Amino acid sequence: MMIKKKSGLLLIAAVLVHSTMFAQQQPPASVSVSGNMGVSYEHYGLSRDPSGWTGFTPRKPYNQFRFIFQPNIQFSKNFSLPFNFNFSTKPTNFAGPYAGIGKQNIGQFVTNPMNSFGLNPKYKWAELQLGTQYLNYSNLSTGDIGVFGAGVDLRPGTYRLKFFTGLSQQGVNFFTGPPATTGAYRRKNWMLQLGREREGKYEVAFNFAHAKDDSASANPPPATIKPQQGFTLSFVTKIVFAKNWYVNVEGAQSVYTKDLTTPLTNTVKSFEPFLKAHTSTVRDYAGEAAVGRKSKNFDIGVKLKHIGAGFQTPGYPFMQPDRLDYTLNTRFNAWKNKMNVVAAVGQRVNNLSNTTLRAKQFIGNLNWFTQFNDNWSLNLNFNNFGFQSASGINPYGIKNVSTDLGISPTYSWMNENAMHTLTVTYNYSKYDERDVVTGNITSNNTHMGLLSYIPVFLKKELTPDFSVMYFYNNMPGFKLTLITLSSGLSMPMAKKKINFRGQLQYNYSKTNSFKNNNNIIASCSVEWKLHKKLSWNTYITSNHFKYGDEITPNNARYLESNVRTGFMYRFGK
Amino acid sequence: MKKLTIILALLFCFGNIKLEAQFITNLVVNATPPSTLTDWAGRREILGFLVVAQGGAGSNPRPVLIKTEITLTDGTVVATTDLSKAQPYTFRIGNNPLDATDVLRLENMIFNGKYKQALTRTGKLLSENYQICVQLVEPGTFAPVSELKCRSFFIASLQMPILMKPYNEEVMDITKAQTAITFRWTPLVPKPTTPVKYRVQVFEVMGNQNPVQAMRSNFPILDQEVTGITQYIWQPQGILKTNTDEWDVRLKVDSPRTIGPDMEPDLKKAGRYVWTVQSTDLTGNPLGDGNINGDGRSEPFVFFITPTTAKGGKEVDKLKEEVKKLTKKE
Repeated sequence: MMIKKKSGLLLIAAVLVHSTMFAQQQPPASVSVSGNMGVSYEHYGLSRDPSGWTGFTPRKPYNQFRFIFQPNIQFSKNFSLPFNFNFSTKPTNFAGPYAGIGKQNIGQFVTNPMNSFGLNPKYKWAELQLGTQYLNYSNLSTGDIGVFGAGVDLRPGTYRLKFFTGLSQQGVNFFTGPPATTGAYRRKNWMLQLGREREGKYEVAFNFAHAKDDSASANPPPATIKPQQGFTLSFVTKIVFAKNWYVNVEGAQSVYTKDLTTPLTNTVKSFEPFLKAHTSTVRDYAGEAAVGRKSKNFDIGVKLKHIGAGFQTPGYPFMQPDRLDYTLNTRFNAWKNKMNVVAAVGQRVNNLSNTTLRAKQFIGNLNWFTQFNDNWSLNLNFNNFGFQSASGINPYGIKNVSTDLGISPTYSWMNENAMHTLTVTYNYSKYDERDVVTGNITSNNTHMGLLSYIPVFLKKELTPDFSVMYFYNNMPGFKLTLITLSSGLSMPMAKKKINFRGQLQYNYSKTNSFKNNNNIIASCSVEWKLHKKLSWNTYITSNHFKYGDEITPNNARYLESNVRTGFMYRFGK
Repeated sequence: MKKLTIILALLFCFGNIKLEAQFITNLVVNATPPSTLTDWAGRREILGFLVVAQGGAGSNPRPVLIKTEITLTDGTVVATTDLSKAQPYTFRIGNNPLDATDVLRLENMIFNGKYKQALTRTGKLLSENYQICVQLVEPGTFAPVSELKCRSFFIASLQMPILMKPYNEEVMDITKAQTAITFRWTPLVPKPTTPVKYRVQVFEVMGNQNPVQAMRSNFPILDQEVTGITQYIWQPQGILKTNTDEWDVRLKVDSPRTIGPDMEPDLKKAGRYVWTVQSTDLTGNPLGDGNINGDGRSEPFVFFITPTTAKGGKEVDKLKEEVKKLTKKE
């Protein structure tokens, strides 16, 4: 049944492709088509020795087809019809509402986040949004979640009216397995934006985002997930002043019921008519502000973000609450654009509502590039992340400090045949962790050295590259040494219709006093321009890994192969 | 006659006592329960209250109210049951196991001061040492009919790990990344007494996907468990790749980054990846204490893998084109 439904969808897509291509072959004078479409196949293979050993698990689905259909048909100056169809034949959901799903029904297939079926006909300032849409209204209301449904985006003059409603997930029954299915409740979303905007000048808008689970949509229901309801209201202002100064401010309130099966209550304030309060309903605020200046050679900006401890919005399901971030960023070019400096410094306070366990995180980044002359350049980078929290129930608080320093000089020289680039990179990384019981600090040190040489031949088409890398990590009781030798070769072929790149890599790795592991990786990619508008891209890789005696069984090995091949057709000129 | 009256009266009294059920109670509370109070419901491993109703055959089951009080160790009252709203319970003779659904009915609890504010904002109790006391009382008079049972517990609002390295939108050259990538994150706070399992997960972001979409739909190219430590060195073994189909990728984080004299790295040929850490207990149950997904995953970060770069941090192909143009002019 499912296969029939999928075949039906494929058939519809094929008809659409065919009709569009036909339309494109003999287009009426005013119709033009841009965009692309394609199909790709990916195969993954894994063989392990000895048989029955499961110490290395698959990293990709064994067979997968992916389809893309994204033409944009421009009927006239004012009317366009963009398609956005992306879908795969096999569900591979690992995290989120469809985790572990095997057979999907048509509703689940259509709303699965791995598939998109969107159509956005647009006439002048009016856009109709149909099918799957990933709409980003603002940073605190909605932006990360795809919804399958219908809506509009109307922009008459400076006014903005956006509305969309639909399903972000279907009900999925809980199943103990194998394979285990987490299960999910059907979730209906709607979102609304009302505001005014003049592009590049200002934007003022109210955003509303709502989602509600259908408690009866999964049977048996998910064991670890509760049916939820959330509503978020935000107000966003963006202004660009003269001389490239900008101010962006957003404030938001969320009301979120964590479990719709809990009883209704009057002790928590409802937000009617959008949401009736349950005993598990929480209500909190969030805000962010940014002020800065952007220009060709100098940027500076300050950003502040506060997310309340109970702030939750269905449009950003992984947003971490209860924090305050502030950062100062800058970038400037100097010395006739031969020097470029990018820096950021800031602090993040986590667990803000919790005075006894408040944790502070320092953030500092610097990247400094200088081109001294035609031959020499130097890149320096420094990163520091420090994290500290109060002790709580332990004698000592957590204190982790991560520091990285990188120095990378490059020497280039040129003769009549080639330009040569030789780069040496050294990175030192230190990670200190305090034990919360003893107070002892454990240092984890990493040294990395890389030497790479790239000759760019001026009279030959082939471009090789060579690199040697040494990586050493040590901490009490643990030592890891890695050595990598790598060489690549790229060249155009068949009158530049084919672009070939191959790479061979050998890795040596050794942990403590165990016998070393050996790893050989070979890969190649071929980009073949079959026609002005049609290309065939293939990527093949093979990974052979042989363990020493650090795991049981000793000398275990695996061979992993991956083939990805696909055709891409580009519409238009 | 007088003696008979006294005997009859005594019999009547004893008969009455025998006919009305007596209650023996026991309260068990996890010493470090989750801070989200609605997560206590239906879980006897967090709060279990056993009511043993005693009485002979023909005993009258009598209705009682459950009075619950949460206090700080210094006696400050945090919350108490509003007995005027409480529903009466009638227990059958024998064992009656209850959990927080009955003992801590939030719709009937009155929270005080900052605890009420915290509960409304977050659904959680503040991090403190508490004592919870439960007693059965008679409806109307609120006279106790069972012994007061109290237990102490500590609330430590769990703070999920925050990803540190690779930082959000870090751009890495494939020459370095293909040997090893070091992942670091902050530990779960407060550090629990039993070790935490962290699952480091990396997902490839395909063309046209957004990072969260990729996380919710793709197979992870790395799913590695580490216990008790907050660093993992990954050897990608050829699984990372740059992009053959060019697409328009722009950095979303406001801080501009660079890998050369260009203002921003050219990400058209970059491979995009999203990574996160899932925190679980030793048996694999996600920790998270009421987070929106309930799966213990931290806010994900994105990193980019760019093709091998040469002079000036430029891609080899681009550099080659530039050099050729330059030599032609000369």
